[in-house]
Amino acid sequence: MAVRLSLRWKIVGGFGLLLVLIGLLGYVTLSLFSSLRQVQRRVFNDAVPGVIAVDEIVRSYTAQSAAVRGFLVQPNQELLEQYRGEVANVDIVITESAELFTSNREIELLEQLTDFGEEFQEQVDERVVPLALEGERARAQALFSAEGAPLVLQIESFGEELRDLQNEVVLRAEEDLNARSNQARFTLVAVVIGALGAGLLLTIILPRRLSSSLSELVDAARAIGRGDFDQRIDIRSGDEVEELGDRFKEMQAALKRLQQLALQDRELEIAGAIQRNLLQRTLPATSTVKLVPTQRQANLVGGDWYDVDATGTSVTVAVGDASGKGIAAALMATVALSVLRAERGQGASVKRIIQRANEALKEATEPESFTTLVYASVDFRSGEATWLNMGHPSPFLLRPSHVEHSDGRPVGYFLEGPRNRALGWFDDPGTDETTLRLDPGDRLIFYTDGFLEAKSSEGVIFGENRFAEALVRLAPLDSDHLGEELVRDVESFAAGKLDDDLTMLVIEFLGSPPAGEAVREPDRVDRAAKLEN
Amino acid sequence: MAQQKVEIDIQDKGDYRVLVPVGDLDVYTVGSLRDALGRMIEQETSRVVVDLDGVPFMDSSGLGALMGGVRRLREAGGDLAISCTREQHLKLFTITGFGEGVSIAPTVEEAAKGFRD
Repeated sequence: MAVRLSLRWKIVGGFGLLLVLIGLLGYVTLSLFSSLRQVQRRVFNDAVPGVIAVDEIVRSYTAQSAAVRGFLVQPNQELLEQYRGEVANVDIVITESAELFTSNREIELLEQLTDFGEEFQEQVDERVVPLALEGERARAQALFSAEGAPLVLQIESFGEELRDLQNEVVLRAEEDLNARSNQARFTLVAVVIGALGAGLLLTIILPRRLSSSLSELVDAARAIGRGDFDQRIDIRSGDEVEELGDRFKEMQAALKRLQQLALQDRELEIAGAIQRNLLQRTLPATSTVKLVPTQRQANLVGGDWYDVDATGTSVTVAVGDASGKGIAAALMATVALSVLRAERGQGASVKRIIQRANEALKEATEPESFTTLVYASVDFRSGEATWLNMGHPSPFLLRPSHVEHSDGRPVGYFLEGPRNRALGWFDDPGTDETTLRLDPGDRLIFYTDGFLEAKSSEGVIFGENRFAEALVRLAPLDSDHLGEELVRDVESFAAGKLDDDLTMLVIEFLGSPPAGEAVREPDRVDRAAKLEN
Repeated sequence: MAQQKVEIDIQDKGDYRVLVPVGDLDVYTVGSLRDALGRMIEQETSRVVVDLDGVPFMDSSGLGALMGGVRRLREAGGDLAISCTREQHLKLFTITGFGEGVSIAPTVEEAAKGFRD
C-alpha cells in the first residue's frame, strides 16, 4: 500500500513552506539593509570625511603659501600670524584625519605630503622668513619661488591623488551597493515567486483538488439521488478524501444491492400477481368428481399453474410447472395456459392442444426454458381417467385406507406409465397416453416437483419416499384437507423456506351414480368464497 | 437469503472441454453455469461435457441452463454432453425426457463419445 499523505500534513506542509519563504524574505531584506548601512558607513564615515580632510590640508598649504607670498611683498606681521595659524591648523587636521586613510597608498601619500609640508615649513621658517626679516626681500622671494612654491605644488598634486583615491572608495562603494542590490533583487524575486507558488498551491490548487474530489462525491451523491448507482468515483489524492471516496463507493455498492433486492422483490410481487391471476376463482363440481387444488407460492415464484374445465361428460385438468423462477416463469405459465384454453375452446383434441402448446413455448421462450405438465381428463360417469405426462413427475394414486385391496398393491403409489417429454424444447415431445379406471374413493393426485425437491436446512430433499409415506399417512383425511396437511408437512420439513412453488390437485372419484340416476351436471363453486370459509 | 455459490472448474481435453460445476445448481447459482457455457461459445469451443458429479442438487433452473446450453452449442455447430452418476439427476433427465435429447454417460470420456456430428 502506498504511503498515505494525510490532508492535515499536506496543509501543515504547505503553510510550513510558506512560513519558511516568509522567513527567507525577512532575512534577505534585513541583510540588504545591513549592506546598505555598511556602504553608507563607508561613504559617509570614511570616504567623504577623507575628501574633506584632503581638501582642508591642501587648502591650508595653499593658504600658507599665499600668506608667505603676501608677507614677502609687504612685511606685515598679521600675514605671518596667519601663516603660523595655518601651520597649526594643518597639523591638527593631519593628526585627526590620519585614521581616515587606511590603504597603503593613502598612508604613503599622506606621509609624503606631510614630509613635503614639513620641508616647506622648514624652508619658510628657517630661510625665507629670516631672509625677509633681514631686509633681503628680493632674495627671499627668489628663494621661495625657486624652492618653496614647487613644494606646495607637489603637495597639491599629492592632495589631488589622495582625493582621487577617496573618490575611488566612493565609487567602489557604489559598485558594491549596485552588486548587492542586484543580488538582493534576484533573491527577492526568487523568494516572492516561491511564496506566490506556495500561496497558489495553498489557496488554489490544494482547495481545487480537494473541492474537485469532493465535487466528484457530490456528483455521485446526486446521481444516487436520481437512482443512478453507477456513477464512477475515482479519487487518487492519497489522503482522507480518497479514504472517504472508498467508503462512498462501498455505500454506493450497498445501495445498488439494496435497490436490486427491492427491484427483485417488486419483480417477484409482479410474478406472484401474474400467477395468482392464473388461478381459477371458480371450479367445476359434479356429484361424482371432487376437485381440490392446493397451492403455496414460493418466495421466488416458481411458475406453477393449474387449470380445470368441465365439458359434457368429463372434467379436464392440467397441472403445469414452468422452469425457472420469477416473472419469466410466470409469463411462461401464461403462454402455456393461454394456448391450452384457446385450443380447448376451439374443441381441439388433446394431442393437438399439447402440440400447439409445445410450439408456442418453443417459439416464445429462451432455449433455457421448458414446461412440464400433466394434462388429464376424467369421465365423471365412469371414473375413467386418461392423461398425458409431459416430462412431469408421475401422478400419485391414493386409495381408501380402510378398504382391503385385493391386488396386493399399497394404499398409495406412483402411477408410472408411458411418459412424454417436456414442452418448449423438443420438436416432437410425444403424446403417449395413460388410462386408469378410478374406483369410488380413489384419489388421483397431480402435483409439481416443488414437493419432491423441497430441501431441509441440512440440504436433504423431501423426495418421493417421504412424499408417498406422507400421503399414505394422511389418507384418512378428506380431500378438502389432504393437500393443506401435506403442504404443512413439507413446509415444516423445509423449515418454512420454500424455493419452489407447491401445487397439488386432488381428483376424487366419488363413485358412479346408481343406474337411472342422472349425474348432476357440472356447476361452478366459487373457490374464492370457499377459501374464505 | 443465503447466496450459495457454485465453483466451475474447466478442463481442456483437446477435442472438447469439460465443465465441472461444484455446488448446487439452482435458481441462485445457475447464472454461473449459463455464463460459463456462454464463454465456451464465445471462445469457439463448441464441444463441451458437463460433469455433474460435483452437484448434489439441481432444480429446473439448472436443468434449463444445461438444455439451453445444448441448444445453443448445437446452433454453433457443436454439442453438449453430460457425465453423471447421481441417481437424482438421472431421474430428472428421465422424467423430463431430456435424457433422450442429449448424450448422458457415467464418465466424461463415454459422454464425449455421444457428441453429435
